[in-house]
Amino acid sequence: MRVRTPAAVFLIILVAVVLQSTLFGRIRLITPDLVLLVAILIALTRIKPELVLAIAFSAGLVVDLLGSSLLGLRAIVFMSAAYIAVRTRERADIGRIATALWAGGLTLIGVVVLVLLGTLFGQSMILGEHVLSRLITVPLANMLVAFLIAPVLVRTVDQDPAAFRY
Amino acid sequence: MLTRDRQPRSDRALPTFITLVVLGILLMTFHVRLEGGGVVDVLRSGTQAIVSPVQRGVSYVVNPIADAVEGLGDIAGIREENRALKAALEESQAQLIAVEDQLARLQLFEALYGLDELESDLGRTVANVIGRPDPFDAALIIDRGSIHGIAVGQPVIDTNGFVVGSVSSVTPFSSTVVPITGRREGLAVLVGSQIGNLASQAGSSEMRLEIGDAKEPVLAGARVLTSARSVLFPAGLPVGEVVSDAGLATAAVSTTVRPYVEVDTLRIVVVLAWPTDPNSASGEDEIQTEVTTTTLGETTTTGDGTATTEGG
Repeated sequence: MRVRTPAAVFLIILVAVVLQSTLFGRIRLITPDLVLLVAILIALTRIKPELVLAIAFSAGLVVDLLGSSLLGLRAIVFMSAAYIAVRTRERADIGRIATALWAGGLTLIGVVVLVLLGTLFGQSMILGEHVLSRLITVPLANMLVAFLIAPVLVRTVDQDPAAFRY
Repeated sequence: MLTRDRQPRSDRALPTFITLVVLGILLMTFHVRLEGGGVVDVLRSGTQAIVSPVQRGVSYVVNPIADAVEGLGDIAGIREENRALKAALEESQAQLIAVEDQLARLQLFEALYGLDELESDLGRTVANVIGRPDPFDAALIIDRGSIHGIAVGQPVIDTNGFVVGSVSSVTPFSSTVVPITGRREGLAVLVGSQIGNLASQAGSSEMRLEIGDAKEPVLAGARVLTSARSVLFPAGLPVGEVVSDAGLATAAVSTTVRPYVEVDTLRIVVVLAWPTDPNSASGEDEIQTEVTTTTLGETTTTGDGTATTEGG
């Protein structure tokens, strides 16, 4: 990992957290889960798998700390999604569409696990009015965003302009 | 197929995964045991204090974008809403004429009997909603914090005076508000002369009202107000209305309540500096038969012309 990589990862997570809690916190129609998406897409970079898991855990923890629900809930969910991402990342290397579908699928797994864990731990904040529709719209939005940003994110983190040029 | 020269798949990924899951479970247990206070509260406030200045700055830039996107999404419903609003306006204008007449009579009687209007002495802080933490978190982030006089636990209402929720955490420049529909604990409310408990329901915007010792049925359309027994809200704040009739088959009555506030649409909220005296944060709703005057922050029930109860 190059020296600038940690700074790039930190900045990407900060941007994701801020955009998620401001811009996408205001839009009701369709909203992605940017931080979860970043946790998944980081698995496509050259960062060591165990570091990917630590980054995903930390990103989830930041979202937990900014919100009002149980501390550690999203940390586990984001890290679990990142673990599956690390194990299956070769499937995303085919092209942009494959990457988008892969990220959308992993987001679906992540949000389903989040809702299940939230139910187990009595988190009524998570089981709000639109929980079912969001189980569908969030993975779809993440799929679209992944299609647009996945190559740029990988190139930025790896500092490799040739990465993900199909 | 494109292949990348990534780090080789490590055997340490699974042990790391298990370690972090255990750490996450420990954190959740720690949080539950501390009931959100202590170190968790310090960590939460610290993180929010770091991120909130950036959020505030970014929100000024992205709010017009969010408004534009929201506007585009709402175009389909605008015509229908316009028609409904026109009908509502005509109805309101008719009601306004009637109210103006009653107001004139009230002022006349107040002048005759030398009555002074009850003023709420609650401090109010108007705040903008700058976002929410996560698509699956109903909490609201507002742009006012401890330097503006906001403290944890203070009640939050909308600009119409309807109950929104309460402040769950505070940083110097921002706060997090948990809506009543996202609270795990119930809320003591008053329906007519009966006190009940209002609780959120999973996957629904409506809330469940339970009255344990009901003396009369609850009818659809009945207003639900905060009770003086609530330690979280001043008495007399409107919460919502009963959706369906609930008969008196047993001593307990159960029905659903639709809150007046739609949290997703809120842009501005008002934080109340309540309780002004923390020791007086709870009391009894004494419903008597004669005149009941409700003002923001105080429910004063009078019988024989004497004040008997002050909520909050």
